[in-house]
Amino acid sequence: MKQSIPVYPFAAIVGQERMKQALILNIINPSLSGVLIRGEKGTAKSTAVRALAHILPEIEVYSPDPFQLDPQSEADLLAELHLALGLGMAAPPKPEKRKIKVIELPVGATEDRLVGSLDLERALKTGEKRVEPGLLAAAHRGILYVDEVNLLDDHLVDVLLDSAAMGVNTIEREGVSFAHPARFTLVGTMNPEEGELRPQLLDRFGLCVNIGGILDLEQRVQVLERRAAFEEDPELFSSEWQAESEKLSDNIQKAQKLLPQVKASPELLYHIARFCLEVGVDGHRGDIVIYKAAKTLAAWNGRTEVTKEDIEAAAELALPHRLRRQPLQAIADSLDQVRKAGPKL
Amino acid sequence: MSEPNSLNTSLKRQIFPLAALVGQAELKKALLLAAVNPLCGGVLIRGEKGTAKSTAARGLTEILPPITAAVGCPYGCEPDKPQTWCPYCLARGDKNVWQEKPRPFLTLPLNATEDRVAGGLDFEVALGQGTRRNNPGLLAQAHRGLLYIDEVNLLDDHIVDIILDAAASGFNTLEREGLSVSHPAQFLLIGTMNPEEGELRPQFLDRFGMSVQVIGEKEPELRVELIVLREQFEADPEGFRARYLEQTETLKEKVIKAQHFLPMIEIPERVRKFMAQIAAEHHVAGHRADLFLEQAASALCALNGRRILSEAEVLEVAPLVLAHRQRESAPPPPPPPPPPTEPPEQPEPEDSDEKPQEEKPDEDRPENKEPPEPEQPEPGDQPEDPPDRPELPPLDPEGLMEQIFEIGQTFKVRRIDTAKDRLRRRGSGRRSRSRVSQKQGRYVKSGPDDGLGDIALDATIRAAAPYQKSRTCPPGLALALEPSDIRSAIREKKMGHHLFFTVDASGSMGARGRMAAAKGAIMSLLLDAYQKRDQVSLVSFRRNEAVINLPLTTSVDLAGKLLAEMPVGGRTPLSQGLAVTFREVKNVLVKNPLARPIVILITDGRGNVCLDGRPDQNPLKEAWTLASLMAKEHRVKYLVVDTEEASLVAFNLAARLADALGANYFKIGELKAQTLLDIVKQEF
Repeated sequence: MKQSIPVYPFAAIVGQERMKQALILNIINPSLSGVLIRGEKGTAKSTAVRALAHILPEIEVYSPDPFQLDPQSEADLLAELHLALGLGMAAPPKPEKRKIKVIELPVGATEDRLVGSLDLERALKTGEKRVEPGLLAAAHRGILYVDEVNLLDDHLVDVLLDSAAMGVNTIEREGVSFAHPARFTLVGTMNPEEGELRPQLLDRFGLCVNIGGILDLEQRVQVLERRAAFEEDPELFSSEWQAESEKLSDNIQKAQKLLPQVKASPELLYHIARFCLEVGVDGHRGDIVIYKAAKTLAAWNGRTEVTKEDIEAAAELALPHRLRRQPLQAIADSLDQVRKAGPKL
Repeated sequence: MSEPNSLNTSLKRQIFPLAALVGQAELKKALLLAAVNPLCGGVLIRGEKGTAKSTAARGLTEILPPITAAVGCPYGCEPDKPQTWCPYCLARGDKNVWQEKPRPFLTLPLNATEDRVAGGLDFEVALGQGTRRNNPGLLAQAHRGLLYIDEVNLLDDHIVDIILDAAASGFNTLEREGLSVSHPAQFLLIGTMNPEEGELRPQFLDRFGMSVQVIGEKEPELRVELIVLREQFEADPEGFRARYLEQTETLKEKVIKAQHFLPMIEIPERVRKFMAQIAAEHHVAGHRADLFLEQAASALCALNGRRILSEAEVLEVAPLVLAHRQRESAPPPPPPPPPPTEPPEQPEPEDSDEKPQEEKPDEDRPENKEPPEPEQPEPGDQPEDPPDRPELPPLDPEGLMEQIFEIGQTFKVRRIDTAKDRLRRRGSGRRSRSRVSQKQGRYVKSGPDDGLGDIALDATIRAAAPYQKSRTCPPGLALALEPSDIRSAIREKKMGHHLFFTVDASGSMGARGRMAAAKGAIMSLLLDAYQKRDQVSLVSFRRNEAVINLPLTTSVDLAGKLLAEMPVGGRTPLSQGLAVTFREVKNVLVKNPLARPIVILITDGRGNVCLDGRPDQNPLKEAWTLASLMAKEHRVKYLVVDTEEASLVAFNLAARLADALGANYFKIGELKAQTLLDIVKQEF
């Protein structure tokens, strides 16, 4: 009863290497704060995000705990937050391991479901004022996935920005006043034909990939074959890919362990700073994300030293959506466009 | 519940120390001044994304000096001002125990509802004890402290109103749910915003004592330092904070010392005059600036450890205080050249030689004389195709020259109309009975039951709570509800408007860079539309017909692209343009009867083709008749932007058209924002 809806295996997705890479980097290093996937319809955007479920690593959480607190660093919050919910501390929840969750934010969600609200049942039954945590609490330390993120209601975007900014969700509504940590990896997919994202929200996505349909004939055939096989017998198909998925999952965990040891020479840091200055990036988040992504890439490739190539690949993922654009100008598809316009890396 | 909204220890660990912030000297200065002097009116931090705006603002919490307040007082009353005390402090009088506590630093999230901002009945107490007690809102908790609003420009108008109200009087008054409370609410506003997401209301802007424009560092060294510090912080927040503890403490002591000094600052008459003079010189609106200038300069003086305020200190804080208040310093542009500040680099019609150009000598308008020679007049062409291919020589009996003009200079558009604004709130703010589900939008406050089923349960419980003693509860429930208790949620949703741009793309628009100017104006309106999340549609008319270039969409980007590609040339089927636009508008109104579309007509008004495509009837009269019929649809708002240049032989035809439409009429040059209150000049 673990997975009622069959999920297409991540490892079986044909092509779209950059998208897969961006997603994997975000799993290895959640502080990259997410990825935006832009592409036409039918390019396996949503499939890829949902397929992550197969390869996500485990984290330590309390059970039960609606706030997904980290027993290592947030233990002191547990009692406070649980008391606010009216959960007794008679039987303190025990830490246990589970897979990182992908929380889906539907485009039509209401604000109170997103941020949390007054627990109505409790208010009516006992007259007590208690918090009912929302999706942001569930997404803490996990992945918050928004399909068609450009169609998200404006006021939801505002709220999302508000809590994404500092990793804290503050609730001041319906008589309750409450704050809890909410640090999540924001993953969004969108079809640019339906309108663009607001600049501030765009900036919250650490990485951004533009994907198109696959043009290679053989690969297209492969897509068809695998899709057909999956639809015929999802379980069989998944089990066929089981080994691949596990390998991927292992590699991710290895990279996670390696990541703290990855170093970059000061020269390369200057390289990043100068490049960002030259191509014209707003603010500093671009610099920071390139650096983090480059380190993560190095770890993914099993190295402890960041190379120039890592930085270039990272810039490719971190910069296109951050470049200072003329108003209403389209987002660059790749850094090549940027390079054409600006100085070379 | 624990101390509400306080950042508990674990969350505090996430605060990046202010002392470790790289660069941003102005920002740090402004925050320090605000910490020293509560009267200097708060700080608005404007800047592009990712420039440590929020980081800096939150870092401020750690250097705030403590305040003294009575134990148990929910409002944090000031000990030496008994006249402002709350009922609690008044009742206890001399028995109050005064104690130091940290200066409040409250975060107002964008999801806040009215009852948490202004306060409301505490239903828990009401149900449990049967007494009416106010549950103090953020305004009460922030008294004598700071109220921090991230992305302040996205805050709901309704909440802004409450804050403005309290900020103006220094008191927050509550008359609701059987409560009647008034308590002092003096707080400093700290706000951050990214101007790309829209501006603040001028009135709100004015409440901020100081504003700082932050931009990313331009020195590679600093950028690298920043990357490194950030990495260290994220790897080990606690260790990082410990390393900066000493510096943070030093800063805090500096602030406390300066606060102590503050009342002793002397202001010589000469400096006072100087301040007034500076404010006047910078065309500052209102007198609040003088006041804030004095307070900020005094705070700086105290920070510098000096007794007597000097001109140098005034000059140092002047940019902070005055930048966002400055009115446009230049007088309104003189009328003669309507696009007065259009840049000279607009493409002249002559030099776009790569475009097909053709024209029959018998062209319609006198000013069409200057376009180039007819080149390849041939019959048969597809008039539809807006961006005509050069290979298909466009041609029709009238002959035309066709060009694509670049987009002229864009500018900040002035607020189109205040009435529009009110309409928006009413039209979209409330539950719209249209196709959207009723429960969309942000729940901001509650009102009496409107029978639509969107019940605000928290408000309902508050309404019922005081009466519970006299009612009998149904089993299993904590309270008995009666129909009179029901409150409905009032939701605000900024849906944006439906904007229809109807653009005259006829040959006469090609003259003297008119189209470039017009495109510049449309682009500016589009940018404005983007910030307000409007839906836009683009209709253009030329030759014999009007074309919908872009059906209604939220993709303002697309509109911008199409606009750039829009060619110009041919006759002016004004009536067609009106008719097609109106049909589109009607469609919207059928689908969404509560919509309030706005039609922006950009033309010189010189229609010369009738609806049936023949030039020989009376096209102008036809257009005017049509216009007066369209004016009967009151839900639509019309705006006519006249592209005709002022000259001796002005026809003023667009003005007549505007008259018939009952439209607001602007010359193209007048569209610019009259007061640049909402634009902070980059350089002071």
